[in-house]
Amino acid sequence: MASGAKMHLAVSLFPESALSPPSDAGPDFTLLARFVQKAETAGLDMVLLADSAPAAGGDAPNRQVPFEATTLLAALATITSRIGLVAAASTVAHQPYNLARRFASLDVISHGRAGWHASMVPDPREATNFSRPEGFSRDDFRRRAEEFIGIVRGLWRGWDADALLFDQRGGRFFDPEKMHLLDHKGEFFSVRGPLNVARSPQDMPVLVMSGLSEPDMEIAARFADVILLDEPSIAGAKPDDLKRHALAFGRSPGATKVLMTVAPGADMAARPDLIADRLEEPFRSKSCDGFNILMPPALSVLDDFVDLVLPELRRRGLLRSDYPGATLRSHLGLAGGDER
Amino acid sequence: MTAHRRQMKLGAFLWATGHHIAAWRHPKAHVTAGVDIEHYIQLARTAEAAKFDMIFCEDAAGVREADINIASQTSRSIGFEPISLLSALAAQTSRIGLVSTASTSYTEPYGLARTFLSLDHLSGGRAGWNLVTSASHIEAANFGATGLRPHADRYERAREFAAVVTALWQGKLDGVSGPGHDGRSFSVRDPLDLPRSPQGAPVMVQAGASDEGRDLAARTADVVFTAAQTFEEAKAFYDDLKGRLATYGREPNDIKIMPGVAPVVAATEAEATAKYEELQELIPDDVGVALLSSYLSISDLWRYPIDGPLPELPASEGMQSRQALVIEQSRRDNLSIRQLARHFAGARGHWRVVGTPAQIADELEARFEGGAADGFNVMPSYFPGELDAFAVLVVPELQRRGLFRTDYEGSTLRDHLGYETADVSSRL
Ligand SMILES: Cc1cc2nc3c(=O)[nH]c(=O)nc-3n(C[C@H](O)[C@H](O)[C@H](O)COP(=O)(O)O)c2cc1C
Repeated sequence: MASGAKMHLAVSLFPESALSPPSDAGPDFTLLARFVQKAETAGLDMVLLADSAPAAGGDAPNRQVPFEATTLLAALATITSRIGLVAAASTVAHQPYNLARRFASLDVISHGRAGWHASMVPDPREATNFSRPEGFSRDDFRRRAEEFIGIVRGLWRGWDADALLFDQRGGRFFDPEKMHLLDHKGEFFSVRGPLNVARSPQDMPVLVMSGLSEPDMEIAARFADVILLDEPSIAGAKPDDLKRHALAFGRSPGATKVLMTVAPGADMAARPDLIADRLEEPFRSKSCDGFNILMPPALSVLDDFVDLVLPELRRRGLLRSDYPGATLRSHLGLAGGDER
Repeated sequence: MTAHRRQMKLGAFLWATGHHIAAWRHPKAHVTAGVDIEHYIQLARTAEAAKFDMIFCEDAAGVREADINIASQTSRSIGFEPISLLSALAAQTSRIGLVSTASTSYTEPYGLARTFLSLDHLSGGRAGWNLVTSASHIEAANFGATGLRPHADRYERAREFAAVVTALWQGKLDGVSGPGHDGRSFSVRDPLDLPRSPQGAPVMVQAGASDEGRDLAARTADVVFTAAQTFEEAKAFYDDLKGRLATYGREPNDIKIMPGVAPVVAATEAEATAKYEELQELIPDDVGVALLSSYLSISDLWRYPIDGPLPELPASEGMQSRQALVIEQSRRDNLSIRQLARHFAGARGHWRVVGTPAQIADELEARFEGGAADGFNVMPSYFPGELDAFAVLVVPELQRRGLFRTDYEGSTLRDHLGYETADVSSRL
């Protein structure tokens, strides 16, 4: 068996992918469940659930996944046991306390398989539905998002892993020394804490960030566990820069995984080797740690990827054959939970 | 054909290790409930097998107790966030309604409408939203530096919030083709990006029993959750609320009033009493007094002699209805702070019934037939044992009397409640 680094693979449920079969109704839960179960059987690291604001144009409702992503994640968590589940949630649509709490809860529900995908691209349309018709300037959005993410991570660490005592006879449910207030007072938010959800089985939900422009890189380097980048032809953040930034913040080079977003073309079934080439080349040249494969929620497309492309990648020694642990952090080779 | 008898609605109110403040210390309570999703799945299946109308979850966006030493002696500082919890349960159940409390004070209507509609789709039309305005300073401190909004402001915001959510669910808010919503607290432009609800719209539940709370319920609610100790209190609330419906062009039957009930049931009365006493013995005094003072919105109740009477209290900016209820009880039964705290800790001011299945069924029947309730939100003392006991002992007794269904009539929560597919927007 070939040794060496293995690539990380995520699939993004992307309703409006070029591969989408034409359909009037959105996919139902049963279809999405089968999709995610198939991805789990294939040993993929995680599924990313998009959470789009209303698309421009009137016919959007019929083409979206008809679920909000965090609620969908919770339901999917009960019918899977290994695969990571990451939901997008916007810093405009939520308050940091509520978002931290929702994801902490999802992480307990999934036994440590949850992640939050935070996009750094403001959607002006979304702001108009959340009582901010004037929107945010790009700079305000960035400073606000940075503060937001810092609060969420702080709340996730409010309870030590051994805080809960469950001491029925002694009447001590938790150890007060092991609960920490956040007491955050910042430019945009003031949050006292603590969260009313227990510490995650993997320490913290995985933080996935995307949509990074140059000034966002510091934020990502400080906080992100996973960074999604577009293919390098597109201007934007570069993996090497990101890792350098992360080092500058005292994080180890392996503490942030960079996944490159790839939309396989319609030729996937015909030439799986070409897709494998397209993934192997940037991975071997260390441009990324793996890939985020955009897919419509259609089983046939996932079937092609799993049955044709994955065996080819395994033959080339690029893919692990089974889940190394129980949590999403362990799949990704990140510290936390299992690793402690 | 048998005559169609009016039947009561039942909610299974799930909370932490149990509704009794000391539940978690009971040897038969599941002490790790707050981190055990499988436990909740099992509770949901129990409630569904017993044909409960709904599972009901409370909510607070913060811990419940400010004093950390008190908090550390209860199991309520950690648990699941209810919308994620109910979404998980949606995938593991098929008939039972799924109702979560959510505050109008710390969320936005577009996001809340979208999230509950998503839960509604995941569950095939079984979702409900219990509207509350949040009365806790602890929560307020997680959402800014300005503190708890005054009672009247909270309700003003809640009225606008409810109107926007309902319009979104009804597909009647569309700022692209017409005017959006541009109100005092909120502005919303787009319709929701999800299909319409399988039950027309998620069910609207309301808890909050002050004058403003009742008025909002009369306008918007399909179900009202309330706390009442005595038959007279329950009846007065019931008549008052039903009487308000005509103002909004609604019929008395358009709203189901479901007070909380905290049963302690056993095969014999002696066993039931012993079970209750066993729980009461597990309450530390300081925990009981702290819980009581949090509902009374008084921070220094511990300064008063514990065996003396309740002091005079200023009007609350928090939960006015519960404060009034507690004061009334302390006067009526001439209770000391300790006695009141003990009593309150068992069910937070809700109605407590201790007895055999027949005795409990008698009590429920009396309030149901006496025009003081359309059903009950059942608050088991500890889980899973006391939910099991209610399901196995009391539900069959109610069914035998024709007071409760033996099978679900339909597939959506509105079906269970006997409502047509929703059209509520005209009232707003
Ligand atoms: C039976 C009942 C249950 C309630 N449950 C909750 C709850 O779970 N979370 C919460 O924040 N508020 C809850 N509330 C209070 C509401 O937030 C309410 O809108 C606010 O406290 C004002 O109450 P009032 O109208 O009774 O004064 C509840 C109120 C009642 C009467």
